[in-house]
Amino acid sequence: MPPREGTYGLLAEFDTPGDLVRAARQARLDGWRRLDCYTPYPVEEAAEAIGFHRNKVPLVTLVGGLMGLVAMFLLEMWISVLAYPLNIGGRPTYSWPAFIVPAFEWTILFAGLSAAFGMLALNGLPTLYHPLFNAPNFRDGATTDKFFLCLEALDPKFDLVETRAYLTSFQPVSVVEVEY
Amino acid sequence: MGMAHNNHAKTLPADLGAPAFVDGWKTRALAIGLVSSVIAALLAFADGSIDHVLRAWLLGLVLTFGWAVGGLALLMVQYLSGGKWGLLLRRPLEAASRTLPLVFVYWLVIAFSLKKLYLWAAVGDVGAALKSGWISEAQAHAIEFKRPMLNPTAFFVTGLVCFAIWGFYTWRLNVLGLERDAASPATTPEWIKRFENISGPGVLVYSITMTAAVIYWVMSLDPTWYSSVYGLLFLVGQAYSVLALSIIVAISLSKGEPFKTILRPTEQHDLGKFTFAFVMLNIYLAFSQFLIIWSGNLPEEIPWYLDRIRGHWGIIVTLDFLFHWLIPFTLLLSRDIKRNKKRLVRVCQWMVFAKAFDLFWLIEPNFKDAARNLHFSWGILEYVAVPVAMVAFWVAFYCTRLQTRPLVQTNDPHLAEILEPEHVHA
Repeated sequence: MPPREGTYGLLAEFDTPGDLVRAARQARLDGWRRLDCYTPYPVEEAAEAIGFHRNKVPLVTLVGGLMGLVAMFLLEMWISVLAYPLNIGGRPTYSWPAFIVPAFEWTILFAGLSAAFGMLALNGLPTLYHPLFNAPNFRDGATTDKFFLCLEALDPKFDLVETRAYLTSFQPVSVVEVEY
Repeated sequence: MGMAHNNHAKTLPADLGAPAFVDGWKTRALAIGLVSSVIAALLAFADGSIDHVLRAWLLGLVLTFGWAVGGLALLMVQYLSGGKWGLLLRRPLEAASRTLPLVFVYWLVIAFSLKKLYLWAAVGDVGAALKSGWISEAQAHAIEFKRPMLNPTAFFVTGLVCFAIWGFYTWRLNVLGLERDAASPATTPEWIKRFENISGPGVLVYSITMTAAVIYWVMSLDPTWYSSVYGLLFLVGQAYSVLALSIIVAISLSKGEPFKTILRPTEQHDLGKFTFAFVMLNIYLAFSQFLIIWSGNLPEEIPWYLDRIRGHWGIIVTLDFLFHWLIPFTLLLSRDIKRNKKRLVRVCQWMVFAKAFDLFWLIEPNFKDAARNLHFSWGILEYVAVPVAMVAFWVAFYCTRLQTRPLVQTNDPHLAEILEPEHVHA
């Protein structure tokens, strides 16, 4: 993809999550589709407000967990039954109760790692550059105490002057133009 | 400049009393209780004995005891941990704790039927019982050795002491709960401290007393067997069933005020997650106990499991594993189910049934006619009729307890937060 140039979007800054959610909900209602919210902590209603749909993290986690379960159970079976059968207190070499705990641990381990790395991958991370970093107020506030709504230039409704006026109607702290 | 930021909070309705439909629950519960009692009586006639009535009665006792005293324990845990989920549940849990008199009555029935239920009470002369082949050598030894603990006097005294202690905590927390609401908000920090100071030791005392109670009531049905995790297993089991009940109550109450206003999806979701944790802890302890005894394979311990696996009991324990763990576990994994009122209630109702099913597996194989021999008799159906009747009467009594006070504790800093829209405190 060739490097983009020009305006990435208009960024409105809010002081509270409530204001952000109301603005985002209205923008979505008014037909905006290329828009995003940025908050210092998860705000579920903001995600819902911009029409966030389901993601694949649960599926990745489930598949990872099942892989861990099957892998460990097979490993234990292979060791105890085929590779190194031992007579332990006269028990059968295939003693499933003893296999449960490690198999369970691996289920959790694989599910946890799949969730964490699956989430990062589906988020498109690691991303070393994002246009929003060009906005000084975003750099300072997005991870501490500010709530941002960005209407992106890719949206067909986008117009530098009208969109700025539209965002201002939500009475944000500021509206800044963000360059690529 | 600047929108009004805080005018979106809801306000509590003026009337915080239980909604009118709680009366309907009560009537329905009484009707179910009466019908089940009649069925239980008919089954006893068909079976020609009340042995199974008493066994099933024990199941009903443990289940309702779990709600009343387990509810008291969860209330104390909530005062210690804080959290908005608990503010919702305080009054329903207080109401559950005030059903203790009914549970005591249920217990009295067991306490006056010791000889019918407990081998250690039935066997007077151990030598003669051994000679006649009534009991095995292991049982004779265990009964004799454990006599200082397993005798009717000790059973009574322990039971009465336990009920007195639970009664004390129920009384304290319930009285102070009302006083707290009547006090001025300026005193809230003192009240929080005060409740913490009662609940801290209370949780400790509760775990000891309930361990003693379940050892006497359930574990001693088999005088030869012991498990050091037994108390903890029931403790976690109580949390399992109390949380299931609390979710059912909170969501059912939310069809009317004041729960309509205070039950938000966030707290419902939190309660679902909390319940999920106990589903996990429950199987963790149950499986640990099994794994340790299976690994040891000692003649003192393993027969308890063999009684519950052989002779078709394997079917029951497999179903128990599915009902009690796998089904709630897989369903409660889902975020959507935890946030959906109707579905979450269904899961919780299932969990209550699963708890009863688990208790059936724990109780019935203790008896000689049933150990390693799962078979049909009219009597075994008492395990449905009697607990349903007892639970129904308990629910009716619980409804009257719910109706005696406002359903929301108002003197609490969390109250303002619970009335706000959810995104304010994500």
